[in-house]
Amino acid sequence: MGLQRNVSLSTGLRYKGHSPFWAYILHRIGGAGMALFITIHIFSTFADQQGWKIGGLVNNLYTSVPFQIFILFCVLFHAINGLRITILDFFPQKLMPYYRQIIYVQLALFVLVFGFAAVSVVATALGRM
Amino acid sequence: MEVTFKIFRYNPEKDERGNYVTYKIDAHPNDRVLDVLEHIKGKEDGSLSFRRSCAHGICGSDAMRINGRNMLACKTLIRDVGDHITVEPLLGLKVAKDLIVDMEPFFENYRKMLPYLINDSPLPEDGKERLQSPEQRARFDETTKCILCAACTTACPSFWANDEYYGPAALMTAHRFIFDSRDEGAEARLEILSETNGAVRCHTAYNCTEACPRGIHITQAIGELKLAMVTGNID
Ligand code: FES
Repeated sequence: MGLQRNVSLSTGLRYKGHSPFWAYILHRIGGAGMALFITIHIFSTFADQQGWKIGGLVNNLYTSVPFQIFILFCVLFHAINGLRITILDFFPQKLMPYYRQIIYVQLALFVLVFGFAAVSVVATALGRM
Repeated sequence: MEVTFKIFRYNPEKDERGNYVTYKIDAHPNDRVLDVLEHIKGKEDGSLSFRRSCAHGICGSDAMRINGRNMLACKTLIRDVGDHITVEPLLGLKVAKDLIVDMEPFFENYRKMLPYLINDSPLPEDGKERLQSPEQRARFDETTKCILCAACTTACPSFWANDEYYGPAALMTAHRFIFDSRDEGAEARLEILSETNGAVRCHTAYNCTEACPRGIHITQAIGELKLAMVTGNID
């Protein structure tokens, strides 16, 4: 009957959800980013062991400052957001009515921790130059 | 004021795919989106198809995406959505024609929740009502407000990804009976909710809560169900 049910990624992303929806999307980006990092890390170690040149190149990629900051973002956002979800899951009646406010607390915490971590990475990189 | 209405159109007898048609309408800021749709159907293009019945936010027929968000057309004022309004069918259900979607998968999930009172115990001595206190009634009051409009289920990213997921509206129905002190089917329903496509597919994106035209705290109710599944406690 009629048009097929088909919610493409872009249609889904265009839905006008609020802050928890964006946290949901970033949580998945964070998870995918970590999976990507672990995959290329395993690959580069393997390639190094085999004496393949590409191992060093991949190594350079993920030790670069932008990639480190990206991974920091992935890990910290995923962890802090996951913590919020878990805490709320334990107290649905007490905490979930305040889910909007709690998102702001989470964001403030994230900006603080991520900002500190990112600045440390950049300062270390500059110190090495 | 002049309002530009961009409406998703799809005629299964003619069109391969859907397209958008724009109408410029003279409307009052206090008109509802439904009023303008009625105007277009009555005066501009009689082939425009959409569902409506009560026109007062009770029957749940006219949920649709208005400016990218699920709402009831009969409860949405023009002044609240601006003068450029895009109207599209709900996401995640097949489009039958224009703004009408096939609701059958949605109701199929609803039926899976055993949406009726289960109580095989003998009636009270006087043979009349099974009484409950105001507190017991208040425990599930929130989820009795559901009008099955599907705004929540079709706003849920887990449902977009997998329509086997029972969806928030079906879970609301389960909540409504599980926490009813007169009902004895909680165990059976919690069993159903524990299936792969049950409550665990809720990833707390809160799109359902934001979309609900009755203001039900849906994600919270699902959270209560998850907790009941784990602890077995339905107080
Ligand atoms: S027409 Fe009944 S809810 Fe809108």
